[in-house]
Amino acid sequence: MLKYIIKRVLWVIPTLLGVLIILFSLTYLMPGDPASAMLGPRATPELVEELNNRLHLNENMPTRLGYYLLGVVKGDLGTSVWSGHSVSSLISSSLPHTALLAVSSLGVAAVIGVFLGAFSAIRQNSPISRFVTIVSLLGVAVPDFVAALLLVLLFCVKFPILPSIGAGTDGGILGIATHLILPATALGIGWVGYLSRLTRESMVDVLDSDYIRTAKAFALPQRSIAYVYALKNAIIPTITVIGLGVGKLLGGAVFVEIIFNRPGLGKMIVDAVYARDFPVVQGGILVATILFVLANLLADISYGFVNPQIQYD
Amino acid sequence: MNKENPLLEVSNLTLDYRLGKKRMRALDRVSFQLEKGEILGVAGESGCGKSTLGLSIIKLLPKIAEIKRGEILFEGRDLLNTSENDMNRKIRGQKISMIFQNPQNALNPVFTIGKQMTDILRAQSKYKNKKMRSSRFFRDQAIGRLKSTGIADPSARLSNYPYEFSGGMKQRVMIGMALSSGTSLLLADEATTALDVTIEAQINRLISDLAAQYGTSVLYVSHNLGVLAELADRIMIMYAGRIFEMGTTTDVFDSPSHPYSAALLESLPSRQARGKRLLSIPGIVPPLDNLPQGCSFHPRCKFAEDICKREVPPLEQVTDGHFSACFLDNKRGRKRLKWI
Amino acid sequence: MNTTSSKRISDQMNRQMSLTPRWTETLIMAFQSVAKVKGGLIGAIFISVMLLSAICAQWISPYDPNAQNIIQRFTGPGTAHLLGTDYLGRDILSRIIYGCRIAVLVAFGAVSLSSIIGVFLGVMAGYNEGKKFDYFIIWLFDIVRSFPQIILALAIVAVMGPSLVNVVVALAFTAFPFYGRIARAQTLSVKEADYVKAAEAMGQKPLTIILRHITPNIMAPVIVCLGMDMATMIIWESGLSFLGLGVRPPTASWGIMLRNGYKYIQVSPWMILWPAVAIALSMIAFSLFSEGLRVALDPKERER
Repeated sequence: MLKYIIKRVLWVIPTLLGVLIILFSLTYLMPGDPASAMLGPRATPELVEELNNRLHLNENMPTRLGYYLLGVVKGDLGTSVWSGHSVSSLISSSLPHTALLAVSSLGVAAVIGVFLGAFSAIRQNSPISRFVTIVSLLGVAVPDFVAALLLVLLFCVKFPILPSIGAGTDGGILGIATHLILPATALGIGWVGYLSRLTRESMVDVLDSDYIRTAKAFALPQRSIAYVYALKNAIIPTITVIGLGVGKLLGGAVFVEIIFNRPGLGKMIVDAVYARDFPVVQGGILVATILFVLANLLADISYGFVNPQIQYD
Repeated sequence: MNKENPLLEVSNLTLDYRLGKKRMRALDRVSFQLEKGEILGVAGESGCGKSTLGLSIIKLLPKIAEIKRGEILFEGRDLLNTSENDMNRKIRGQKISMIFQNPQNALNPVFTIGKQMTDILRAQSKYKNKKMRSSRFFRDQAIGRLKSTGIADPSARLSNYPYEFSGGMKQRVMIGMALSSGTSLLLADEATTALDVTIEAQINRLISDLAAQYGTSVLYVSHNLGVLAELADRIMIMYAGRIFEMGTTTDVFDSPSHPYSAALLESLPSRQARGKRLLSIPGIVPPLDNLPQGCSFHPRCKFAEDICKREVPPLEQVTDGHFSACFLDNKRGRKRLKWI
Repeated sequence: MNTTSSKRISDQMNRQMSLTPRWTETLIMAFQSVAKVKGGLIGAIFISVMLLSAICAQWISPYDPNAQNIIQRFTGPGTAHLLGTDYLGRDILSRIIYGCRIAVLVAFGAVSLSSIIGVFLGVMAGYNEGKKFDYFIIWLFDIVRSFPQIILALAIVAVMGPSLVNVVVALAFTAFPFYGRIARAQTLSVKEADYVKAAEAMGQKPLTIILRHITPNIMAPVIVCLGMDMATMIIWESGLSFLGLGVRPPTASWGIMLRNGYKYIQVSPWMILWPAVAIALSMIAFSLFSEGLRVALDPKERER
């Protein structure tokens, strides 16, 4: 178990190194001279020269890569071409918004999804079971950014009862909460559907297993058979999926933050893309990727705790 | 044995499985009695309804099963009309326990042996309305149970997960949970089939020792006649949901009176002289949704006659306590049934 | 013996031994059984309709998708314009049909590119299990898989500039490791099979073995993934276009239509609703179809 965790943690290092190399080499994909591409119409020879010096664009590739890696290791992600702020400060002001959105939507979706799925497996052919089928179909049919648009259409335009713009940071806790409802729903609804279906399927298999029959033969209370003995087994595939889901969730957050104008990490990346502010794009993607890698790491480790029989090689 | 008051009395038990539009008769008018402390061996090929019998006594049948008629009396209590709640509070795991075929999957893979055992013990103590006990108490009880089944270092073993146990060890755990001083009836469904031959002998020995110690009756379901010969006081031979022959182990083994029993015995290696060919019964067990007319064994039976194709032979007494369901035996008097 | 005749002999031996299952036959059988699975047929019909409208867009769409008619803008569904018109008075139905072409083009392009590259690398890695090359490929897969997919695609399009081809390339790049991992895992088991051992014993070249004996036999799970991945690619194409980082306006794409709809959300709900419906229908179609494929290709499920 410990060996598994150590191996799994150590593997993160070469992976992240590779991530940095890819992010770095993205600059080489830019058509033409990167500095004038970043500056766009503002480019004057002086500005181009200054930017080239600042980003070490005149050096050869290994030196540039060295500068880049050194900077990242020191926690310096560069400065915004556009605003002159340091990228780390931009990230630290936008990250909480995304974290709040991601945690609230996936967290709530996971709890609801797992229990809906478990419940509908225990009571097959009940209204709940049919509800799960409908929600999971809906989750498949309506991707998060389309869901966001439809929610805006419904609750902000047709029946204007919920706010559609911003993060509501001026409105205190209540403002933050009301501003969170629609974006979190848009991001989470697909997950409720997917996780409830996944949990239902594995729960149906588990309830049919020999060890559940044993538990019944020894008259364990029904509730503890279903929600302790069966659910802990049924939840194993769900955990892996949630880990992988964080990547999709961060991707979805990009759209949802744009649509609801939330000043989060995704909006920061897209705005930087529009502004050709490449250091910000790089830094934003790096942070999103590290979050995703950590989430997967966490999922794999908790998988090891839930499933004692973990085999890893 | 106390003839007037059997521990378990099954009469005319008839049960169908419904699969879509198909109906399969898994048990057909099954009647038998089990005395206190007796070991009854149930034998037959796979799909003959042996396992269904055990599951219907402890009432853990799959949803597709439907009991058409019949009665199961256990210690005078009508089990088929006992509520699920009462089954849990009074019967399952306390008076009647069951151990299953595949010990590999019989224990929950994600909990320690100790948690699974103490959970069961705690639940049962609650059913008996005993006062709340400490975790320590149940832990000690679990250690005692493991010790009784001969597992070494039981207190350390409690913190192991099932995958750290061998198949035989898992079955020992199951037996430890299933057999205690209060158990009246143990249902063992092919309990040793999945194990190595040497382990199988040890486990069977354990079952019979503990059963004798606690005065527990055992319904031992197996397709292995050799095992039953050593273990059982009486034998019941089943085929396609019906009892074909029932009697003391000596009666059935020494003078089988149903051609099917005779054939099963002739296919046992231990009972044939060295160098002699073993019998393999021609044909297969008929599918339960498409049983032949008359005696369900007649297409495979060497001795079949016209009447066997038309009528179902009733289970009748041949000699005292020895029953058989065959026209041949009933109408023609006894003769030695030889297949080879 | 010259080389051609020896090749002929080895071909003949291959055919006679027929240890390698004919995968074309398996595939045809699989598609036939998809139609038998509940929902699989509906999915297949939906997808055919999509393909048809993508191919025949210019003949079946009632209007030119880019023909503006400022007087008749923001109309709701009606007889002249079945699904209404957008902010420039363009016919929404025609734009949905042309948008289907873009969606299908991107989905097919990205999925075929990523699956070909992914399967090739995965098989090569699996065949060279434990060697440096294998570890390098695993590392490569893990790096690309570390990025949140759509964010990586977004970054690639951002630096290369938005265009149809760049969208396809970017999406394919983010998806190939997933095929690679499946192909590698499958190769590990298939390469132990008797027909591969037999081919090795007959002295066939590694490349021949990979192309003729291994690749055809690892395709079943890859094909199941293709269906679901098409759906994902359609979402991402519209997502990128929605952000203005996909195909260029005025090209009709569902994502661009949503983008415009979002701008005029206060004025007309139809500009958002119809492309949303188009996306939803195509998602349902692909998920039904790939679920059918999964059941059809899974021998365990087929028995049920």
